[in-house]
Amino acid sequence: MKQAERPGLRRWSRREYERLIDHGFLDEDDPIELLDGLLLVKEPQHSPHRTAVLLVAKAVERAFGEGWFVQTQSPIILDDRSEPEPDVCVVRGSPRDYVATHPTRPALIVEVAQSGLHLARGRKAAAYARARIADYWIVNLVDRVLEVHREPARPGPARRHWGYAAIDTLGADATITPLAAPSAAIRVAELLP
Amino acid sequence: MHAMASYETGTRRFSRAEYERLIDLGVFQPGEAIELIGGELMVAEPQGAAHYTAIQKTAKALEAAFGPGWHVRTQGPIGLDDDSEPEPDVAVVPGGPDEYSRAHPSRPALTVEVAESSLGADRLRKGSLYARAGLPDYWVLNLVDRVLEVYREPAPDAAAPFGWRYARREVFEATARVTPLAAPGASIPVSHLLP
Repeated sequence: MKQAERPGLRRWSRREYERLIDHGFLDEDDPIELLDGLLLVKEPQHSPHRTAVLLVAKAVERAFGEGWFVQTQSPIILDDRSEPEPDVCVVRGSPRDYVATHPTRPALIVEVAQSGLHLARGRKAAAYARARIADYWIVNLVDRVLEVHREPARPGPARRHWGYAAIDTLGADATITPLAAPSAAIRVAELLP
Repeated sequence: MHAMASYETGTRRFSRAEYERLIDLGVFQPGEAIELIGGELMVAEPQGAAHYTAIQKTAKALEAAFGPGWHVRTQGPIGLDDDSEPEPDVAVVPGGPDEYSRAHPSRPALTVEVAESSLGADRLRKGSLYARAGLPDYWVLNLVDRVLEVYREPAPDAAAPFGWRYARREVFEATARVTPLAAPGASIPVSHLLP
């Protein structure tokens, strides 16, 4: 990473983040998400990005079927200072199960990344791994591949050392089976815009 | 997007007006040492005994050097620009405390940072920020090498973090004496600043 960790940046807790929203510093339409205490600016929603999000949502909805639901660009809670809004995630149950609080442990998280590729592989992967998200995919629009991140692990002592031990890169011709939907097979081509 | 905005992956920036509203609303923890630097909220590192002592000694020496008509502030907020409200370790401003009961001072005649672990940031980022604001006299009291670094003559530099830097840099050993730009009759032994 070009800029070192920048330990000097003030980190926000989820409770403080919610106060920022209550006081009107942020609103629900702001392209901001709280990740590891940082108020990160999200990747702009250009058309290929939006198209990929819709394609992924459709494909995983079909793959997971009953007993799961798919949410797009909606908040999940990872820890006291992370409330990201992944492009797509698959959550057990039905939307009504989460009236009182946001989902915390999606079975699958998918980020669509172009300019945000570095962020998706770096800080986001670290945060998702630390939250023990078992299956994390990046639809890489730059190289038109799917990056599948599995086996969360921490090879070093620091929080930022969290990452995924198994990373597979799949081309458009490959198929992928979500960990939590073992009988499904999704063609990577279906996910690409 | 200008150069600053490309920092890291991009975090939400705050204006000084927003920052002051956050303080008024009591969003931060009491006693939290925060500065707004170019829209970024930065946390100051906890200070050690040497750092604290250097601030006290520097404040005392500058009070004597500047005399009446000047006010020496320690770690007080400076309303530097639209997206910066730093709290330099020592700042000398014209007038007395009452003049700043409604708004923070914005243009100290002399600004001092005491640097130990923050040396790199104080030289580069703070130096660039203060140069951009046109602060004429910026001192970094370098506790690592036990010297005083004096920065003057702000000048544009596209490669600097905030687009400006100081064109002149002079380093004074502990045995030297230094004269603030705004107190030309004073001569301060650098040893009176060092812990």
